[in-house]
Amino acid sequence: MNENVVKAEKGLPRVKPATDIIENEEGFLLLLDMPGVDKEHLIIDLNEDEIKISGKAEYDAPEKRKIGHVEFGSGEYFRSFTLSHIVDKERIKATLKNGVVEIVLPKAAKAQPRKIEIQAG
Amino acid sequence: MVIDLSPFYGTSNPFDRLLESLWTPLSISQRSLAYPPLNISEDDESIYVQCEIPGMDIGDLDLTLTDSSLVIKGERKGAKGKFYRQERPTGFFQRVVNIQAAISRDKVTARMKDGILEVVIPKSEECKPKKISIDAT
Repeated sequence: MNENVVKAEKGLPRVKPATDIIENEEGFLLLLDMPGVDKEHLIIDLNEDEIKISGKAEYDAPEKRKIGHVEFGSGEYFRSFTLSHIVDKERIKATLKNGVVEIVLPKAAKAQPRKIEIQAG
Repeated sequence: MVIDLSPFYGTSNPFDRLLESLWTPLSISQRSLAYPPLNISEDDESIYVQCEIPGMDIGDLDLTLTDSSLVIKGERKGAKGKFYRQERPTGFFQRVVNIQAAISRDKVTARMKDGILEVVIPKSEECKPKKISIDAT
């Protein structure tokens, strides 16, 4: 079943937000495009290994306005990811700025690469 | 590794995308391939152009108003690192909105909220509908 067809309870179309998954030295970075979602309507749930991101964007145009051209509309964003064990779940941070959700998933200390010192015998 | 294992909403194979393009929500009358998507509406006072550009500051956008068009230009920059998945578009974009009505150019306002740009273009006095009172003699 396609996510655009699956209607949420309130009749809003369900949209899968475009996501980037990036790895850097500190850990992973999830970037999700969720335009129109404000902080109050963004929900991030972490349940064991699964992180669920959902949000709602509603555009209520005043009734008097005539609609000319429509390319986007209200929607419910939903996406979930499975986290691997090397992510330090205690230090996960999320920010919302300009409609982009940024989730920082730091690697656990033991998963960081480290140099092994060699002792001369 | 972060693994995307969501059987219902996480699939994105070419076949899904084909279906997606056929099943657009009914509320969306025209879905064009141009980026960024924009909505245009109007009332008696103004023309409203709304545009979905997440991740951009209003300062990074280049809005140009010419005689008969509004040009929205900018560049989305990608993050640095090793990409496991990249779905968010990056690069330069531009959209041109043709405006046929007479507008008061000095009063155009633009604001950005939650990744939605809204440009309000007030119509000039000449093209606002006016009531003409008819005196019956």
